[in-house]
Amino acid sequence: MARIWPTKLDRDRLRRRFVALLLDWMSWGYVAYGVMYFLNDYWWRIPLERFYTTLTLPPWGWPAAVLGTLAMAVICQVSGYSLGERALKLEIREERPLTKEELLMGRAAGKPFWKTQWGVMAVFLLALTVALGWHIVKIDPEALIHPSPRAREMLSEIFPPDFRHFRVPDPAFELRGLPYSILDLMVLTIFMALLATVLGAAVALPLSFLGARNIMGFSPAGWLVYGIVRGFFNIFRSIETMLWAVVFALWIRWGSPLAGIMALTIHTIAALGKLYSEQVEGIDPGPVEAVVAAGGNRIEVVRYAVLPQVIPSFWAFTLYRWDINVRMSTVIALVGGGGIGDMLFYYKNEGKWALLGAVVITIVAVVWAMDYLSGRLRERIT
Amino acid sequence: MAEPYLVVEHLTKVYERGHVVALKDVSFEVQKGEFLVIIGLSGSGKSTLLRCINRLIEPTKGRIFIDGVEITKLSPRQMRKFRRKIGMIFQHFNLIKRATVMTNVLTGRLGYNPTWMTLLGIFPRSDRELALKNLERVGLLEKAYVRADELSGGQQQRVGIARALMQEPELLLADEPVSALDPATSHSVMQYIEQMNREDGVTVLASLHFLSLARRYGTRIIALKDGELVFDGAPEEIDDRKFKEIYGEEAEEVEIR
Repeated sequence: MARIWPTKLDRDRLRRRFVALLLDWMSWGYVAYGVMYFLNDYWWRIPLERFYTTLTLPPWGWPAAVLGTLAMAVICQVSGYSLGERALKLEIREERPLTKEELLMGRAAGKPFWKTQWGVMAVFLLALTVALGWHIVKIDPEALIHPSPRAREMLSEIFPPDFRHFRVPDPAFELRGLPYSILDLMVLTIFMALLATVLGAAVALPLSFLGARNIMGFSPAGWLVYGIVRGFFNIFRSIETMLWAVVFALWIRWGSPLAGIMALTIHTIAALGKLYSEQVEGIDPGPVEAVVAAGGNRIEVVRYAVLPQVIPSFWAFTLYRWDINVRMSTVIALVGGGGIGDMLFYYKNEGKWALLGAVVITIVAVVWAMDYLSGRLRERIT
Repeated sequence: MAEPYLVVEHLTKVYERGHVVALKDVSFEVQKGEFLVIIGLSGSGKSTLLRCINRLIEPTKGRIFIDGVEITKLSPRQMRKFRRKIGMIFQHFNLIKRATVMTNVLTGRLGYNPTWMTLLGIFPRSDRELALKNLERVGLLEKAYVRADELSGGQQQRVGIARALMQEPELLLADEPVSALDPATSHSVMQYIEQMNREDGVTVLASLHFLSLARRYGTRIIALKDGELVFDGAPEEIDDRKFKEIYGEEAEEVEIR
C-alpha cells in the first residue's frame, strides 16, 4: 500500500517550509510598505499622520500588493534565495570535500556573508528600516545645529551657576511649608537611593533562591514556586521605576520621598532578584553534590554550597544597582517621588537658570562620585 | 561467609533526556572491609553507579542494600540521615573554593548537627577538634585557615578526604579520586584512602582510570562496559584478553608508577 500521509520528518519539513514562506511574504510586504510610504510622502504629498490609518491606494491596489508580495515570496522560495529558508536552516548545502587551498585560506565556509543573496537582502532591509525610521520620527539635523532663542538665553544665564542656596535654604522654594537648600535635598536623595537598595537587596536575596531552577528541583511544587517568583520578577521589572513612582505618589502623597523609595525598592527587588537567580543557576554544581552527599538538607546546601559561590557577584550587582538608584532618585520627583528633583523642576519652571545650574552641577558631582565609588568597590570584590 | 555489607541487585538507570541507558541490570555484592575498584572507559557508567549507591542519582530500577537496610526504599529525610555513614570524594574535589579549609572540612559534619546551628556557622567544639585531628592526619594542619582555592590539586583532594573522614563513614565512595592529579600526587592520595580502608575498616568503592592503580590498591575489581558488568574478580585475573574485552581492541595498557 502506498503511503498517503508524509512521514513525521516530511511533515516537519513541510511545516518549516510553510513558515519560511510566511517569513518571506512578511519581509516582502515590509519592503512594499516602505516603498509605498516614500511614494506617498514625496509623490502624492499626503499628510504623514493620515498614512498609518488610510493607505491611499486605488481599489485594486490592496489585492495587488498582497498578491504581488506573495508572488515575490514564492519566487524566492523556488529560486532558493530566501530569508525564511536561511532563517529556518532549510537550505541544502552541497556536500563536497574542501580543497587544501580553501582550508588554508579559511574560505571553507563559502562566500562572505554580505556577498550572499541572503546578506544583500538583510542589508537592504536594514537600510530601508533606518530610512523609514528617519522619516517617521522626522529627524531634523538643522534644529540640532541652530538652537532656539530660549536655549541661548538659558545657556548665557546658567554660567556662572549660582550656588547661593547650596547650604542656605531658598525661602522661595518650599516643600510642605519648609524651605530647603540643595545640600538638604541631596542628602535626602542619597539616603532614598541607599534605603531602596538595601531594602530591595534584602528582599531579593531570599526570593532569588526560590526563583532558581537548580535549587527548586523538579517537583510540581518546585515548578509552581519557581514560576510564581520568576513571573513576579519579570512583570515587576518590566514596569519602569517612574511608573511605580506615579502609583505610589498617588497612593501615599504627591512629592513624598516615601513614594520614591517604594518605587525604587519594588523595581530593585525585581531587577536584582532576576540577576541574583541567574547567578544561582550558573553555579558549579560540585559543592552542592558534596554537601548533599554529606547529609546536608536544602537550607544547608544554600548556606554552604551556593552562597559562598554567589556572594561576590551579588555584591557587584547590588553596588551596580545602588548606582542606578542614585541616578533615578535625582529625577523621580518629576512623577511625584520626592528628592532633589523637586528643586530641579521648580527652578526649571521658574526659569531661574543660574540656580538650576547649581543643582545640576551638584547632581552631576554626586552621581559621578557614587559611580566612581561603586566602581572601585566592585573592583575590590571581584 | 558473613552477610555482605553492600548488595546491589539488578540496578538499572535510564536518563530520561536522550533515553540514555547508563546502567543495565548491574548486580554485585561487597563484603565489609573490601577495597573494590570499578574500572571502565569514560561514559561506561562508573560515576552513575557510585551516585546511585548514596542516591545522589535516583536509580530507575533495582534495589540496593547497605548493612541490611534497603536504601532504595528510604524517604528523602531518612536517606539524608543515612548518608552520614557514606563518605564521598570527587574527581574535581568539589570543595567550596572561597571558604577556608576548616569550613570545608566541617561541612562533612552537616548531617550530624541541627540546621539552625549550621545555618549560623556554629559547630560543636568536639567537631572542631575532630576537624583538626583529621587535617593533621592528611598533613594539612597548618593550612586549616587558608582558602581552599589556594591549595594545590593534591592538597585539595586531601581536604576532600578529611571532609569524608569527618562523617566517620562506614563506606567510602571515591569517584575517580586521582584522575585530575599527577602520578606522584596520585599515589599519596591513594595511600590515604588505603589507610582509611586498612586502619579504620572503611569499605571502599573507588572508580579508577589506570589499571595499574587498580591492581596496586584494589582487593577486588569490577569492570563496566556501556553500563553492563563485564568483569568481577581478583586484580590478578585481568590478563591481556580481559583487558581488551573491557577497554576495546585498540587499547594499550599504560603504567602509572
